[in-house]
Parts: sequence; structure tokens; C-alpha cells
Amino acid sequence: MERFTLKKLIHMISQREISSAELVSIYFQRIKKYDHFLNSFITLNQESAEEQSLIADKKIQAGNYDLLTGIPYASKDIFCTKGIKTTCASKMLENFVPPYDSTVINQIKNSGAILVGKTNMDEFAMGSSNETSYFGPVYNPWDLERSPGGSSGGSAAAVASGIIPIALGTDTGGSIRQPAAFTGITGLKPTYGRCSRYGMIAFASSLDQAGLLALTAEDIAIFLEAMSGFDPLDSTSVEEPVPQYSDSLHNSIAGKTIGLPKEFFNNSLDTESQRILNQGIEIYEKLGAKITEISLPNVGYSVPTYYVVASAECSSNLARYDGIRYGYRDDNTKDLDDLYRTNRQIGFGDEVKRRIMTGTYVLSAGYYDAYYLKAQKVRQLISNDFEEAFKEVDLIIGPTTQSPAFNIGEKIDDPVSMYMNDIYTISSNLAGLPALSHPVGFFDKLPIGMQLIAPHFHEYQLLNFCHLFQQETDFHLQQPQAFLDD
Amino acid sequence: MTVKKSDINHICDLSKLRIDENEISTFTKQISDILNMINELEEADTNEIKPMAHPMNMSQRLRKDEVISNNDRDLFQENAIDSEDGFYKVPKVID
Repeated sequence: MERFTLKKLIHMISQREISSAELVSIYFQRIKKYDHFLNSFITLNQESAEEQSLIADKKIQAGNYDLLTGIPYASKDIFCTKGIKTTCASKMLENFVPPYDSTVINQIKNSGAILVGKTNMDEFAMGSSNETSYFGPVYNPWDLERSPGGSSGGSAAAVASGIIPIALGTDTGGSIRQPAAFTGITGLKPTYGRCSRYGMIAFASSLDQAGLLALTAEDIAIFLEAMSGFDPLDSTSVEEPVPQYSDSLHNSIAGKTIGLPKEFFNNSLDTESQRILNQGIEIYEKLGAKITEISLPNVGYSVPTYYVVASAECSSNLARYDGIRYGYRDDNTKDLDDLYRTNRQIGFGDEVKRRIMTGTYVLSAGYYDAYYLKAQKVRQLISNDFEEAFKEVDLIIGPTTQSPAFNIGEKIDDPVSMYMNDIYTISSNLAGLPALSHPVGFFDKLPIGMQLIAPHFHEYQLLNFCHLFQQETDFHLQQPQAFLDD
Repeated sequence: MTVKKSDINHICDLSKLRIDENEISTFTKQISDILNMINELEEADTNEIKPMAHPMNMSQRLRKDEVISNNDRDLFQENAIDSEDGFYKVPKVID
């Protein structure tokens, strides 16, 4: 089956080569045929999507439509969708039906795109392999024994296999970029505050950011315009105008400076990934960019800093799940304390419990200064390193992951080894910076990703660089073999 | 720094969690491993550095204090397993 880019679908609709109803039907057929291999969807929205496609077709026929009218997309199951189950891949929220739409879902609805379904993920977005989902792991379309990464693993696998053209994800420590790298697609985590967090189920509020997984930078540029901007319902949303990302895609990057942090190119990166990354860097050089080595002296503290800050915020955010107003509730409890503990014992999986416990510990009496306050100071040091670096360079390039996708089951019993997966991605969350991963080559038939990091609100630059790269290369067009048949 | 089983029990009390007896040793080891990894932060020189509370060092925006009269109680309570006459029901708290 042909993987369609969003750009192509928009063209087909505008040329009346296909109707929205036909498109929606094609994607549901694909999901039906292929998703039992991948397990990338938790909930499908078929009836409503089909109804909406008929309405979209009427608008299109009348010539009264927008760029995204009638285009199917999927959302990670962390965005609240009015009347559609939103589980966060947890038993705790297995039957939760939100009474409202998150702002991002609402913005996309207003743009005319049609929600096909909600994708699988690590429970409450806590994980880097999609194995912590209550609904089972997602399988990597390039090799079904491997992980697609996490936490936005369902969105990544669905886009990479071609059963959906574009999908929403969220990124707290690498949850869009690492799965994008593992599945050979393009993933963008925008600047903190660029897209509203309202109605996006909170994990670590000072790090969480909505973003996109797609086949190309161009597709992300088009869709990002529809879901960015200030939201009075999110107190950390930033009042900053939204540029037309599509307009700057073709800008020349000749003379721009790319910094390679020496701390990102060390022994923790495997040699094949290093070789492939070097080839990618050469392509940027051919495009006229100047390459220079830089240093981010404190970036090595990113993982420990993150696991203090993220766990602390997680333990506060997840305190709301008591099973009383919504969520899992057990029938056989003897008193209020037993009710809380039983609901949370049964409703949460092990990784979520570990994070709540770690967060509770670092915030508890006597430890706050040593852990939480210290981590917030180190976070400032890491952020300062980037600020200094961006005085010298326009963009930073590095690996997205240490190696290609690992096997399912390989790391799940060793949390610290799993946490190290995010060694290159976490620092941009701590500093609130936008970052993107795009495919840069293959090793043993598995895709490798390259990460681009830009100053605050310079998403346009990430998309511009990536788009030019994708005009010169075809890594992003390569498809997993098992999903080629119609 | 290693946590003990008693620490795990204390954390569970604080966070209203419960861990099965046979899982406590696994959690104790895993949380110890995580804290050992976190302890690396001690090496960082943070003298005279102020803690960072927001990725762009912005302060909390407050909205105008205006009355908004939304009453969606019935809608919200559709997700509750046990509610009655607009109240959420829980096990008896006072004898």
C-alpha cells in the first residue's frame, strides 16, 4: 500500500481525485487489515469519522473548505476527546469518557481534519518502549519483535506503516522523537508553551508538550499551523504569534551554523549510528551549512535531573486519581484509605507506581533540598548551556537515540537502563526548546534518527532544515516491507 | 544511598499506594537504583544558581477574577462509579 503524505492527500482532495469519505474508508480498511500486527490503536472512532467525512465532502463540493478539511488523522490517547474514551493506556482510565475536548483536539476539529482513532502509548506517557501500556505493547513495523519506542509508540507505528497519514503525540523527555527515530519517520516536539496543554492528561507539567509524528517536515509544518497558539485555558501557554511554517520550508540554509555538542558524540553512541550520523551531517554541509563543535558541559546531568523533576511532578499530578470522581473503582473496600489504596494499586501499572514513589520520595520531608531544589538548579545550568551555545550557532545536531530499536522485553525489567534511552532527548525538554528527529539512514534494515534542536520558538528553522534534507535524500520515503501490499 | 523496605512502606503511605508483600523487594531495589543514578547530581556545582521553575523563566499568568457560571455537575458525574443526588459516594468516614 502506498503511504500517502498529508501534502499528497490535500492535493488529491483539492483536485477532486478522491473524496473525504473514500479516504476515511481507505484508512479504516488499512487499520483493519494491519493493526492486529501493530496494536497501535486503543479506540477507533469509525462511525463519527464516517459521518464527518460526508459533511466534509459537502463542504468540498460547495468549494467552502479549508486546507485540512476531510483529512484523516490519529491522536495519542492522552488528549481528552469529548464523548470518546481517553484511557492514557491505563486501567485507571479504561472507561473514562471526557466531557470536553482538549484545546489541541478542538483546534484541529475547527481546521476540518477528522479524528480516526486514539493511539496506544506507554501508561500515562511513562516509558520509552510502549511496553507499559495496559493494552499491551505496540510492535515496530520494521521488525515486529522490536519496540517502536515510546511513549508515543502507537502514533509512530501507525504513521510508519501507512495506516494513518499523521498523528498527534506528546513529548516529556523524548516521547515523540525517540519513537520517530525507531520507526523511520519525522517527529517534532515544539517549544514548551507553543501548543496548549489544556485537556492533555498531565504527566510532568513543566516538561509536557504536544507535537506531531508524520512522514515529512512539510506535513508537520502544515498541521502545526492548525494546532499552535495562545490558549487562555493553559496558564503556561505563551503569547507568541504563530508563523506560517510552510512558507519558510524552502529558505536557503547556506551560511547557517550547526553545532555538534561533543558530549553527544561519545562512547554511549554506537559506532554504526555514529557513521550514519556523520553521513547526514555531510548532507547539511552540502546544503551550505557550516559545522562546528560545541560543548554543553552540564548536559550529562540531564537524565538524573529529569528523573527528579518529572517524577516529582508526576507524583503531584497523579494524586488526583482516587477512583471517586472518575477512574478505576474497586467495589470491595472497607474504608476511605483502603478505597484510595486499592484503586491506585489495581489502577496503576508498575512503572507509574515507580515514578510516583520516586517523586514522593524526592519531595518528602528532609529530602526536598537535596533532590528537588538541587535538580531545579542543575536544570538552570543545562538551560544556560544551550543559551550560550545558541549565541554561536543557529542549530544543534546530534543523535536521537544511542542505537536502533531494541527488542521488546530487552529493557523492561531494568528501569535505569530504560531511562538511559532518553539521554539525548531529555535536555531539550528541560530547557523548553523545540527539537525534531528525522530519518538519516538505516542499519541492519532498521531506521536511525538524527536530532535537530533550535532556540525557543524556532520550529520554522527545524522544519526548514529538515525539509531541505528530505529534498536531498529518500530515507523518509522508505517503507517497512511487511506493509507494502494493498 | 539505598532505600530500605521500611522507606518503601513510608512512601506508599504518603502516596496512598499499596505494593504486594512479594513485590516490595523488587521495588526496593529498583527505587534504590533510580536514586543512585539521581545521586550523580551531587557532583554538579550549583553555587549561586537559582532554581529553575519554568522552562522560559516566566511567572504564572493569572486571569481576571471574573465569575463564570458553568454548572456541568451532571455531565461530570457521568464518569463517577458511585454518585447520588449530585454527591459522590465514598465508604463511611464518621461512625
